[in-house]
Amino acid sequence: MQALYHRLKALFPLGELTEQRENLVFVTVDAAHLRSLLLQLRDIEGFTHLVLLTAVDWIETGEFQLTYLLGNRAKRQDIGVRVMLSREQATMATIHDLWPTAATYQRELREMFGIDFPQSPGVNEEFILEGWNDIPPYRRDFNTLDYAEATYNDRPGRESRDPATYMREKLYGEGH
Amino acid sequence: MSVRDLLSPFSAWKNVLRDPVTIADPLNRDAAPRYRGFHQNDIAKCIGCGTCETICQNGAIDMLPVDSVATKIGDSGLRPRIDYGRCCWCALCVDICMTGSLTMSNEYKWVDPNPDNFRFTPGIDRKSWDSAELGYQRPEQHRLTETKRIAMQELEADERIDNFAEIVAGYTVAEAKLEADRCVSCGICVATCPTHMAIPEYIAAVRDGDYERGLKILYETNPFSQVCGRVCTRKCETSCASRHEGDAIAIRWLKRHITDQVPYERYREIVGDPLPPTGKKVAIIGAGPAGLTAAFDLARLGHQVTVFEAKGAGGGMTRYGIPEYRLPYEALDRDINLILSMGVEIHYNCRIGVDRTMDSLQQDHDAVVLAIGLQQGRQTRIPQSNHERVYRAVDLLHKITANEPFELPHCAVVIGGGNVAMDIARSLARMQKQQYGVVNITVTALEEQQHFMADADEIKEALEEGVLIRDRCGPQGCEVDTGGKLIGLKTWRVVSIFDEERRFAPKYDEQDEVVHACDTVIEAIGQFSDNSLLGELLTETLEWDRGRLKIDAAGRTSEPWLWSAGDCVKGPDVVSAVADGHRVAASIHQKLQEEDR
Repeated sequence: MQALYHRLKALFPLGELTEQRENLVFVTVDAAHLRSLLLQLRDIEGFTHLVLLTAVDWIETGEFQLTYLLGNRAKRQDIGVRVMLSREQATMATIHDLWPTAATYQRELREMFGIDFPQSPGVNEEFILEGWNDIPPYRRDFNTLDYAEATYNDRPGRESRDPATYMREKLYGEGH
Repeated sequence: MSVRDLLSPFSAWKNVLRDPVTIADPLNRDAAPRYRGFHQNDIAKCIGCGTCETICQNGAIDMLPVDSVATKIGDSGLRPRIDYGRCCWCALCVDICMTGSLTMSNEYKWVDPNPDNFRFTPGIDRKSWDSAELGYQRPEQHRLTETKRIAMQELEADERIDNFAEIVAGYTVAEAKLEADRCVSCGICVATCPTHMAIPEYIAAVRDGDYERGLKILYETNPFSQVCGRVCTRKCETSCASRHEGDAIAIRWLKRHITDQVPYERYREIVGDPLPPTGKKVAIIGAGPAGLTAAFDLARLGHQVTVFEAKGAGGGMTRYGIPEYRLPYEALDRDINLILSMGVEIHYNCRIGVDRTMDSLQQDHDAVVLAIGLQQGRQTRIPQSNHERVYRAVDLLHKITANEPFELPHCAVVIGGGNVAMDIARSLARMQKQQYGVVNITVTALEEQQHFMADADEIKEALEEGVLIRDRCGPQGCEVDTGGKLIGLKTWRVVSIFDEERRFAPKYDEQDEVVHACDTVIEAIGQFSDNSLLGELLTETLEWDRGRLKIDAAGRTSEPWLWSAGDCVKGPDVVSAVADGHRVAASIHQKLQEEDR
């Protein structure tokens, strides 16, 4: 897939190539060039299938990473196109007009990460989290344990011991 | 309509001859080999560290006692109980498990009318999937915590052999943070530490970079934190949860790191002032770790403490036994000065039984603590070992610290395989290198080298420094020439050390005799306590236990005014002496309070 990378590199300002497997590679591009790169891949290079669209929260660097994974069925090849977004202004242009299924992924990302895709059909509708009232749960600053403890009741009979305290009682505390 | 359209439905019949793609029995379908199904726990492997409970993002795990597991050093005796009403089978508990005991089967079906049954203790509550081989296990290399200890910078052998500079550099802030990050804060180690230091809490302080908080935590349980940060026997590290699938956390070095990071001028304020005076007076005999720890505690409680020390400086064996390259005197002095700053009065060069009597101490004080350590070296009593060039290791180590002159051997043989043997061998090696340019020391011991009592590091470093080790050598006598000059140590090969009942009864091969040429023999085979200061009458009155002063769990002797602590009544190591010091201080404080009621 080196040849593909070099063809694309001549047209777009791409980051380095990451070769995950023989038939799976990743490239990075800035948000402004995403659409034209996807069109090139879809219409010229034969990557006609949007396999998935997903995100990673890099809280340390203050960024979200979007990954558009495209498949070329004839050649059995996949390419992941990565776009880094600022965590503060997490908005990205919609691609539902290129692949209608993108609308579903974008709606999911809106709900789980709080990444907005303006004009994407139904992007602000609830996806699976009905009545969600907290920060988007896939953001890494979402405290899953706190939420679980505040939201769900324990069955009666739950109790636990701290190992160090329990060992003091058993081995060397008062009465030993 | 074409003919083709009419015939095409019949083309489906060709599939009749193919294997079906549907599953014949969908209700009994095996899950994928690495499916994250119901939990399994290898109860013998699990140490009840509770890290699974800590990482569980659903609050699904409780740590609870189980009948079949006893609490012991290194094992809390608790085991995880999982509430499947909350579990989401994310497998974080399996990924973090410090021993690898917790795994998942690929079983995924469980029907039960009683919802309470879905709360169970894997490995204890028997389940059909307990011995299932398939299912999710943490893949090799997939670890959430770093398994390798951050290496400590140390002086190389050629850099250290001609001087007494401290060998260990201490962690940098960045190194210490990485090491502290490896700790999962389970607290299993706390029970193992003789003085039960709050280890997870002070490691957390290193992680947070809050060294003043760390220092406060250290001195709450250990006024010899600078000393223990360097020379502690670190039993805690032997029960560290990280030890099971990687290196134990460098607890000792992290403790030292805290003491290195806080400016000494800040110590006193951080540790805090003593309570107001109570008017009670306590005398402590011996300024070693046990005596000074008791002094520290009692002074902080407001009692007036006076310490009597026979030697010219405090610290006991930490000063006069442990060489400077392991424990620099400044570090020891900083700990001692902090203790004295609590209002402890100390009389150096004051030998009880000579300069003052036990009687006078009893009369002038509400309580007396005997913490005189093990100052006398044991002798082999082999033929001609009364020669003037046969020394006890503790005596020579004392001379080195006190700068007292002695004739430096050109060629010495040490008898003994413990840390004291290594201490004297390595100290003399340095002095020989300085004065003669060559090292000529041989250490002989009864045991095989891998069974020496000395720490593995001590043996390794001694060898690096040019010390020769001759193991399985039983000393039979010193060789003296006709002019009365010591010329060697005769040894026989050791066949066995203990008899069938595990009693000390070495057997030798008399044919396998070696004479180790030397001008000096040094005995490093143990120490004993010199109790002559007690005087005849008190020695008669007190109860004894096989040559040692008899004490109870709180350190009380049979006399109501006299307590004893440290090496002279318990096994020799610094942190045990510190723990003992706390114990007698608590007992004395309780007694003094009762007297007031």
